[in-house]
Amino acid sequence: MSLSRLFLGKRGEEPPDNDFDPSLVQRSGWAHTLYVIRRDVLAMFSVLWIAAMLISAIAAPLLAPYPEQGAGRNNVDDRLLPPSTQYLLGTDELGRDVLSRLIYGARPAMSSSLVVVAVAVLIGTPLGAIAGYFGGWVDEIIMRFTDLFLAFPSLLLAMAIVALLGPSLMNAVIALVASWWPWYTRLVRSTTRSLREQYFVEAARSIGVSDAMIIWRHILPNTITPILVQSTIDIGTVILATTSLAFIGLGTQAPNADWGLMIEGARQFLRQAWWYSIFPGAAIFLTVLAFNLLGDTLRDIFDPRQYR
Amino acid sequence: MKSKVMLIIVLALLLALVGTSAAQSTTVLRVASTAGVTTWDPALSFSTEALYMANIYETLVRVNAPGADSEISPVLATDWSSSEDGLTWTFNLREGVLFHDGAPLTADAVKRSIDRAKAISGASFIWLPLESIDVVDDLTVQFNLSYPAPLPLILGSTYAAWIVSPTALDAVDADETYFEAGVAAGTGPYMLADYTPDAEVVLAQHPDYWGGWSDGQFENILISIVADAVTQEQLLRGGEVDLALRMPPSSYQSFVDDEAYNVATETTLFNYVGFLNVLRAPLDNQAFRQALSYSVPYEDMIAVAVEGLGTQARGPVPDGVFPFSEDVPQYSFDPDVAQRLLEESGVDPSTVTLRMTYAAENTIEESMAPLLKDAWEETLGITVEVEAILFGQQWQEAKADPAAAQDIFLLLYWPTYSDAGSDNLLSMFRSSEAPFFNLSYWANETFDTLVDDAIVISGTDPDAAQAMYTEAMTLLVEDAPGLFFMDVGTWYAVPTYLDGFAYNLNYPFSIDFYAITLAQ
Amino acid sequence: MRKLEYTLRRLLLSLGVLIGMTIVTFVLTRVVPSNPAALYLGQRARPEQIEAITQELGLDDPLPVQYIRYMNDLLHGDLGDSLATKRPVTKEILSRIPATAELLVTAIVIAISVGIPLGVFSAQLHGKPADVGVRTVSIIGVSIPQFWLGLILQLVFGLWVGLFPIAGRVDSTLRFSSPIEDITGLFVLDTFITGNWIAFKDVSLHLILPAITLAAYPIGLIARMTRATMIEVLGQNYIRTAEAYGIARRMIVYVYALKNAIIPTLTVIGLTFAYSLTGAFYVEIIFNWPGLGLFTARSFLNLDFPAIMGITLFGATGYIIINLLIDLLQAYLDPRVSLD
Repeated sequence: MSLSRLFLGKRGEEPPDNDFDPSLVQRSGWAHTLYVIRRDVLAMFSVLWIAAMLISAIAAPLLAPYPEQGAGRNNVDDRLLPPSTQYLLGTDELGRDVLSRLIYGARPAMSSSLVVVAVAVLIGTPLGAIAGYFGGWVDEIIMRFTDLFLAFPSLLLAMAIVALLGPSLMNAVIALVASWWPWYTRLVRSTTRSLREQYFVEAARSIGVSDAMIIWRHILPNTITPILVQSTIDIGTVILATTSLAFIGLGTQAPNADWGLMIEGARQFLRQAWWYSIFPGAAIFLTVLAFNLLGDTLRDIFDPRQYR
Repeated sequence: MKSKVMLIIVLALLLALVGTSAAQSTTVLRVASTAGVTTWDPALSFSTEALYMANIYETLVRVNAPGADSEISPVLATDWSSSEDGLTWTFNLREGVLFHDGAPLTADAVKRSIDRAKAISGASFIWLPLESIDVVDDLTVQFNLSYPAPLPLILGSTYAAWIVSPTALDAVDADETYFEAGVAAGTGPYMLADYTPDAEVVLAQHPDYWGGWSDGQFENILISIVADAVTQEQLLRGGEVDLALRMPPSSYQSFVDDEAYNVATETTLFNYVGFLNVLRAPLDNQAFRQALSYSVPYEDMIAVAVEGLGTQARGPVPDGVFPFSEDVPQYSFDPDVAQRLLEESGVDPSTVTLRMTYAAENTIEESMAPLLKDAWEETLGITVEVEAILFGQQWQEAKADPAAAQDIFLLLYWPTYSDAGSDNLLSMFRSSEAPFFNLSYWANETFDTLVDDAIVISGTDPDAAQAMYTEAMTLLVEDAPGLFFMDVGTWYAVPTYLDGFAYNLNYPFSIDFYAITLAQ
Repeated sequence: MRKLEYTLRRLLLSLGVLIGMTIVTFVLTRVVPSNPAALYLGQRARPEQIEAITQELGLDDPLPVQYIRYMNDLLHGDLGDSLATKRPVTKEILSRIPATAELLVTAIVIAISVGIPLGVFSAQLHGKPADVGVRTVSIIGVSIPQFWLGLILQLVFGLWVGLFPIAGRVDSTLRFSSPIEDITGLFVLDTFITGNWIAFKDVSLHLILPAITLAAYPIGLIARMTRATMIEVLGQNYIRTAEAYGIARRMIVYVYALKNAIIPTLTVIGLTFAYSLTGAFYVEIIFNWPGLGLFTARSFLNLDFPAIMGITLFGATGYIIINLLIDLLQAYLDPRVSLD
């Protein structure tokens, strides 16, 4: 599913040919990151847009001009009105303010993508670290298990889970987590395998530090950067996935606001009410774009050797 | 050198793209429809393939739309008579009718077709009153009933009443999947020429059709199966089809305003009902149920969900079919009355949370649900949780354990054949041991008796039956185990170059292609 | 020898994964409350008929018994009959492959022929404004929701400009004027081989909008991957050597460098193919393209579990094979591996 991870050039199956060099991280600290982002117009846009979406999601009731409509309350007297000073982005087929719906729609988009990626990281990272650190049959078992999940076409999995539990955002999230975590296992495993041979790990092992401690103190901290870069890009991809699922009726359910669901509703009004389908589409597009651009910039900063 | 060859190939392709256009050697009517095919077996057919069946096969008689000169028209039968007690019916068959495979229509074919449908069809319950069929002679057939049901209505059913070629019946006796490869052998005006699952159905003229052929009728009918209403609309507007049978309700007005189309507005026998689970508090409370009924925004719902093409229902029998009655009472949207009834019921609204399910694939229910939720929460102060699940699951859950099932169940219903007494009333509100479509789980002895008695006499004394049905419906509406939302209408945008398009509400899944001609 | 062992091991493991898959899918589809008989007989079937069908299909047997029966049939190449169409699932799937394959292949061809030159171009202008432009375009490609792009293309080019058909795969009236001879099942190819230009034009026009919609994402991916690997390769010593020998820049870029940059890109193309199967699902729904995607959507909507099982198995097998091929290809092709 998430092809974007290929930009890291590590598919996990084979050990990466260029060893990971933790010192790179120190060279490009947070101050440097901020500096680069501030100089880069696109990166700046990304950060601002993502911040705006996060604020919309958190403070939707305060920001939306019509919070009740944003939450789903209909207003049938004002159906399908074009953008005006009263309704800045027009209204939908139930007369609800599109802007308010968009602001409320940031909630499922941001929350579900953050949850999916966070849970995927939490499941994938320890498994990957254990597989990569111990190798052998432990590695074999864990990696075959992840293969099982990777082989399951994620859309089919989502459909099966939704068919089983009924369509809802929660179930879409479960399905996405199930198909997402194996990628982090692969990522962390390959990073761990290269770290395992590094001098500081060898040193720790030779003075009798326990395996658990080595993983906790030396391995995991060094996997943070690749995970950070990857998860930034993934958040965008997950937003695409959840809104797509909502579009075919397998995600967020009406009357809750969701960008994908809005486009589904807007489809039959495409000719009469362009604003109704254009704005939610633009919201998805810009948000995913922002995460991709930010991920790109972060990767350039943290992993400069690869693409500079 | 290589690049020059490439260039020539590319240019040739471009020329080919620009320079050609399709020429037509035959008249084709191009139709977009949602109708998939679940079976080609006319006896098993109980779904959307009725669109094709109705053009390939014929029944003995046809039920006309309300307002026609007669209720019933002859098709494969020319005339019929019944005994005084309404138990014996004799039908004379049309002479010289040939099936698509060349076999002649006989009384034996009629008997075998209907016997088979009665034995295996999903709709076989319509033959409940049928005891036996006798072949009197080659063109005369006699039906023996166990109670005086209105037989012509049953014979005109869109399911389980098609007359099939005896040759095909022999073949299907030997191999029960004989039809499924896309084989059909009826007497209808069109033959099944080709079928690609989920993509298209091609019908071709039956040259020996007993009705004959005249100029302007189409030699071929090409039906593209397009599940999505928006796509169908676009295909019609783009001139890629001549007829689109399912378009989004919202595009109605723009077709009315378009001079290139005639828009036909029709009433249908489709009816939306909400079942209230009367086994559980607070829905076991009559006053509370009435309060719910008084706080349904009927007008808004019709305006929004079906773009105004509908009327508020009078009970579960839609307008246009027996035993609909203007005398059955209706609720109205009246928050004050609802409020008063709520107080009367003694239910504390702040403690009430109702779970309402609807079929996720039904877009009309999808727009009804939020309006209901808003209105009930606002008027009564209760909480409503809306859940969209696939119809198959929704129904399964509702049948499994009534005590644990949903509180409110939205359902689209229509009579299987043109008698809503023995179907809508019986199926949705008569009590039964295991719930089937009676998903309010309501049991009322008076109602049961009235309906049972009315069914038995409706063939011989329809007026008395009507009176009993009206009494039963009045009782039902007053006790309010269900919400009676609306009878919905439909519309078709027909290009002005076509004549003869007609919709018959008794055959909601079919369009008669034989009647359609190119306008002069 | 090590490679043979590796290949065999991967094959065996893939088989294990597939068996795991069948169990997961089987359990998932069977615990869903659904009503197979209603699907089989129509929604108004009576309880006694449902009973009969349930027995006939063996749906009241314990799950393990049903599973063993299913696997036994599967080993005999039988995926069961679809509840909705009553035809063998194998036949249903096979008959829809050409349509999806045509769409997928066209999209990938578009993606490659746009993505690779774009990437190479961008790599050469590394750091210049044009490079930033190409990067932005490729990021846009991976950020735009496909279902939305499809709608917009339909509206603009189908309805407003009227340049392309809005939906479907072929103007079906062609069957009367210039019928398509079914050779490969890929209409564009068939009409080209037989020189049926009228039909060729029609099927090509039908293909363009859905293929472009489906190609947007892979274009972005391939362009970015090509750019990244090209930059890396162009920095290598042998390229500098070649430059020093005075070999033409174009020759260096398109022959020497691209040849070496193509392997990682191949990986992306392979995975893109697998990814696009999912994308094709949405594109087929929007453009009413009669392929596997539409079949999948309908099967899930109907809870047609023999079909769902079949599709899942088929999709997973395809995914595993592609993954396997990519890994093997990498192992065999990558010069750095073979030099070891």
